[in-house]
Amino acid sequence: MQIEFQTQRLSMRFFMLMLVLFVLQVGYGLLLSLQQTDPTVLAGVMNFNVARAEHLNLGILWILCGFIGAILFVGPLLAKREMVAPWLIKLLFYAVIVIAVWNFFTLRLAQFGIAGWWQGQPWLQQGLEYLEAGRIAGVLVLIGFAILAYVVLRTFPPVRQWNEIHWGLGLGVSALMAVWVFGLFYVARLDLQEYFRWFVVHYWVEGVWEVIHITLVGFLLVLMFKVDVKSVGFAVFWGVMLVWLSGLIGNAHHYFWIGTPEFWQFWGSLFSALEPLPLVFCFWHIYLDAHVNKRPLENAPAFYFILGSVVLEQIGAGILGFTMTFALTNVWSHGTWVTPGHAHLALFGTFGMLGIAAAYYAVPLLRKVPNYDQRLGKLGFWLVLTGVLGMAFSFAIGGTVQIYVYRILGLDWFGGDVARAMGVFKLMLPLFGTVFAVGAGVLAYDLLTLGRRVAVPAGTDAHGEAATAHATTRWSRPLSGFEAGIWLMLMWIFGTIITLGLLSFNLPRVRVEGDPTLPYLLAGVGYPGLLLVTLLFVWRFLASMEARANAVAAPSLLRVLPAQA
Amino acid sequence: MSCGTGGSSCETPRRRGAFVVLAILALIFVVLSIFSFLKSRNQVTPDTVSFGPYQAADGKRVFQAYNCMGCHTMVGNGAYLGPDLTQEYKHAGPAWLAAFLPSAGGWPTTAAVRAQLLDPNQQADGGTDSIEAYLKKFPGAAERIERRGGGTTMMPNLPLTKDEIGQLIAYLKYTSAMNTEGWPPKVEVQGFDRRVQLAHGVIATAEAAPAPAAPTAAAPATVDPVAHGAQLVKDNGCVACHATDDKKLVGPGWGGLYNSTVKLSDGSTVIADDAYLRESIRQPNAKIVAGYPTGVMPAYETLLKDDEVNAIVAYLHSLEKQ
Repeated sequence: MQIEFQTQRLSMRFFMLMLVLFVLQVGYGLLLSLQQTDPTVLAGVMNFNVARAEHLNLGILWILCGFIGAILFVGPLLAKREMVAPWLIKLLFYAVIVIAVWNFFTLRLAQFGIAGWWQGQPWLQQGLEYLEAGRIAGVLVLIGFAILAYVVLRTFPPVRQWNEIHWGLGLGVSALMAVWVFGLFYVARLDLQEYFRWFVVHYWVEGVWEVIHITLVGFLLVLMFKVDVKSVGFAVFWGVMLVWLSGLIGNAHHYFWIGTPEFWQFWGSLFSALEPLPLVFCFWHIYLDAHVNKRPLENAPAFYFILGSVVLEQIGAGILGFTMTFALTNVWSHGTWVTPGHAHLALFGTFGMLGIAAAYYAVPLLRKVPNYDQRLGKLGFWLVLTGVLGMAFSFAIGGTVQIYVYRILGLDWFGGDVARAMGVFKLMLPLFGTVFAVGAGVLAYDLLTLGRRVAVPAGTDAHGEAATAHATTRWSRPLSGFEAGIWLMLMWIFGTIITLGLLSFNLPRVRVEGDPTLPYLLAGVGYPGLLLVTLLFVWRFLASMEARANAVAAPSLLRVLPAQA
Repeated sequence: MSCGTGGSSCETPRRRGAFVVLAILALIFVVLSIFSFLKSRNQVTPDTVSFGPYQAADGKRVFQAYNCMGCHTMVGNGAYLGPDLTQEYKHAGPAWLAAFLPSAGGWPTTAAVRAQLLDPNQQADGGTDSIEAYLKKFPGAAERIERRGGGTTMMPNLPLTKDEIGQLIAYLKYTSAMNTEGWPPKVEVQGFDRRVQLAHGVIATAEAAPAPAAPTAAAPATVDPVAHGAQLVKDNGCVACHATDDKKLVGPGWGGLYNSTVKLSDGSTVIADDAYLRESIRQPNAKIVAGYPTGVMPAYETLLKDDEVNAIVAYLHSLEKQ
């Protein structure tokens, strides 16, 4: 594929910025995991809350950079013309850098208790989780979103000609801006403040990002497998609609304990239990799209990360989210380490991996090196996947211990009781974090220098191995729909075990007698089981895809098969 | 999964239907939200809660300015490095919080909490000026003092002013009064020792922090005043704020302080002789060292006897600049 439109090249700078911010964010993450084991590390210089604010802030910024890069790359293809107002896009790029640097200085002010109050608003930083940046940065971000929405909507054809991809991205970039407004005013009541804070956080992640994610995954698959847009339209439509139909009231799962009435527990438990539906749908859809046509993988890392994104969305957002979404399980998981296990898989897995996938698809085309060396990309994928699964494991099991000591036994001395009981898992976190960080470094190095290093030696294929090395039997035999269904079912069985483990904290045997055997046993089976099945499934899926490299290419006229025909 | 070879989009009619359903769900959500914040819900609001002259509404701003949520959770939301703060006021009470917050790096001792009870705001809010009654009323404070008193915490010292501390206490009083629908869940395992044993497999007292056993065994008055002073400093938790070398913690360091020249906040200078040191213990706000806030240290006028003040001063003589 050739680059048809010059404005597609604007995506390059956002992908590069994304990688830089990603590496910085991982650095902060490593520091945080060290501070979790020893809170005196850099105390007074870079307190935990400042490092965490940066970690969350950079996480949001680089995910947005990935989205913007991907949208800029596909936008002209969707519109069949150049993006309008490229100067605005260049302005947006510098605005992101300014915001990142500005936040680096202002978030630090929390150590001195300076929020920059003026006219009743905190202008420098506001100390709210995920929305730490102050009003000045908030207004800048709003302007940035307005630029993005303007550029995308002006570039797109008239609404009557929109297909599902246009709808998904059009709604996505508009809602991205609209939802942000709810984070731009100071609220004096704690319950009302949390109510509106989740408007931004929940509706961004489960309303807007998810929509952009489903749409981009659909369109990247169209590009990678050279199929017709209509073949993913159905899946994108139902994905987006189910996300909104379940997620709109699903936000209620954040309103269980913040001071809002009890009836939210009913609505939240009911609707957010439906939230995995679109994710199961998306999962199934990637299986079909990747398997009904038998093309070999041209750009393995790009597909690796798309698959990782969809699978970790299923595991992190879908299954782990499901386990803690009921009032009876959430009452235990709420406010413990169990939740970051879910959050890391869901945020990095779903959205971060998508940005990296888009970069791996776009950068070789933009730099005109379609036959690039794919080994580092694959290595980086396996490192970050293993790292993030291991981190989720440490969080989840450490969190289970935390629930027992902190909530069941009511011991609230973190230094003497809670952290001590969680010790092993607190140590595992920086270990897996290091694996992840190495992976992040490999990816950033590979993408930054891609096309500037030595070309692939002759005699080997782009995968760096002799083409005959791929076996097409056993582990790498084609993945049938039945087998994929079994893998998915296994994941949900382990998800059910985890849910039962959290539920079992309600039993009198645990809650009154203080016997943790059952929840520990169920968590000890459920979490490692789920994460191992995930790892094995990704391995199996990719092995079957790799095996196509030496299979005879299917007739080029064969397009995606209508599954229900 | 193809939707056929129709027009550019074959989902248009279904999209309309989905938007209608979405609008109905949005309506449900709006109605539920309105009911959540009606007056009849009787949820406490920050403008109705105060601690002495301090308003909870101001405390919320302090809470955000220091990004407390970046380490702690509040109604369960935030970071998981430290404990949830929603009911901290209910458990430990205002005097323990007032003793803890200025020097968050160290756990308050009984004497440090007792010193706070001299404050009329504290007496009005806690309903007592006796430490025994206070600890009975706030068992969380008793447990914290007994197990951790005098030890170091995982929290860094923050440059909180006297007003900010009062405002934070008012804010925590507000969050303690909130109806959070039964969260955090009530602890139903009986017996403190049993709970500690279940957590660590050992009895609590064997693991206790260094301080507890000491205070009752206060040294006889005949011993060396320097040793007596060192013991008093430990019992009163002075070292939570003051370093024994010349480093600045919350208050000035003590190393080499005796007979040195001290610059005061009004611009004058004074020699740190015995009279100055005694006054700074009894009425710390009379002369404030330049660069330090007023009103953070409680006055020990009525808490320490003359010979105890002299013993502490003798101990200060012994500390060299390092």
